Amino acid sequence: MEIPEIYCFKSESDWVATLLCQNPHFVAEKHTAMAIPMAMATPTDSVSRVLSMSSLRSALPSAASCRLPSSSSRRPVTLRLPVSSPSPLTLPSFSGLSPVNPLISIGLPDWQSFENGFKIVDGGGRIYAMRHGRRVPKLNRPPDQRKALLRGLTTQLLKHGRIKTTRARASAMRKFVDKMITMAKDGSLHKRRQALGFIYEKQIVHALFAEVPDRYGERNGGYTRIIRTLPRRGDNAPMAYIELV
Amino acid sequence: MAASVDPLVVGRVIGDVLDMFIPTANMSVYFGPKHITNGCEIKPSTAVNPPKVNISGHSDELYTLVMTDPDAPSPSEPNMREWIHWIVVDIPGGTNPSRGKEILAYMEPRPPVGIHRYILVLFRQNSPVGLMVQQPPSRANFSTRMFAGHLDLGLPVATVYFNAQKEPASRRR
Repeated sequence: MEIPEIYCFKSESDWVATLLCQNPHFVAEKHTAMAIPMAMATPTDSVSRVLSMSSLRSALPSAASCRLPSSSSRRPVTLRLPVSSPSPLTLPSFSGLSPVNPLISIGLPDWQSFENGFKIVDGGGRIYAMRHGRRVPKLNRPPDQRKALLRGLTTQLLKHGRIKTTRARASAMRKFVDKMITMAKDGSLHKRRQALGFIYEKQIVHALFAEVPDRYGERNGGYTRIIRTLPRRGDNAPMAYIELV
Repeated sequence: MAASVDPLVVGRVIGDVLDMFIPTANMSVYFGPKHITNGCEIKPSTAVNPPKVNISGHSDELYTLVMTDPDAPSPSEPNMREWIHWIVVDIPGGTNPSRGKEILAYMEPRPPVGIHRYILVLFRQNSPVGLMVQQPPSRANFSTRMFAGHLDLGLPVATVYFNAQKEPASRRR
């Protein structure tokens, strides 16, 4: 399934943007209600957002409120809407769910071309719009180092609960964190030993196996959340917080 | 499309601590020279002293400011959610918390493990609170929702949050 992404910053220093939704299970029934555009400029839109959000509030404590769009095939478009207003929630409105015409994108730097296969120059690394054939994120490392990096990152995330790392690493980690939590949900000795072989600190494994059934018993998958944030100063690497849901 | 682009929802501030609200007041928070935007990273050493908070509004309106940490002691196990850092009531609009009544003295952020969110919530008061509220018995296990309900404050009018983590003991070379 598609996980579309939107960047949005309210002022030039406010970057916290989107939810990489891990939880297709929780596609809300209020999907049609949320087809209202995400514009928050007008009070009526805020009110409608308040109404539909309050009806979803029962779902909030246990689930990340997350909806997938009805149009499933949508190319990932980075849409930036800079606003200079003081209130944190006002944004210029844009028209609903129609795909954004790149010709009228607002304030968007670095549009190279407008065909379907355009490339986005993003902070030095070239990213194409498609992901054909890319199975494993390589993280610029040989396989042994890559495995060690991911083991270390999952250990730290399970230990601290929220860590800040680069976006590529955070999105590569998700799979392994979910695997560890699934093993803990299973709870058998074999799974415990497998987890001990992956996680560097054994206290963390034991704590994980003790606490996961209570915490994630009802949740099916999607145990992490990624929040994008400001790029790193030294090398402008895009950073993200990854946290356990 | 993502569920919401509001940073308070993305950072789960609305959900863990607050309910969905429409901001009706402006609040600008400064720790020293640094202006706080949602989700920015602040070092605990810059947050030792209470921040400068400028609240919009008329001077005949009274506001309440609360600063909490929902990730105490650790974001993976928030047993002591929320840890309350600062409560100031009866702040006249258009001024700052030094003109209000400080119910609970400011405590600096001291995250032991992980990256904690520190949330500053502003409520509009319907009437002067004065002696109706005393200090909470302990800073742990505070509930902003219950506090607002107890004082009949309703929904917040402004919120901002920042992240902080423990600084390494020795400076990295």
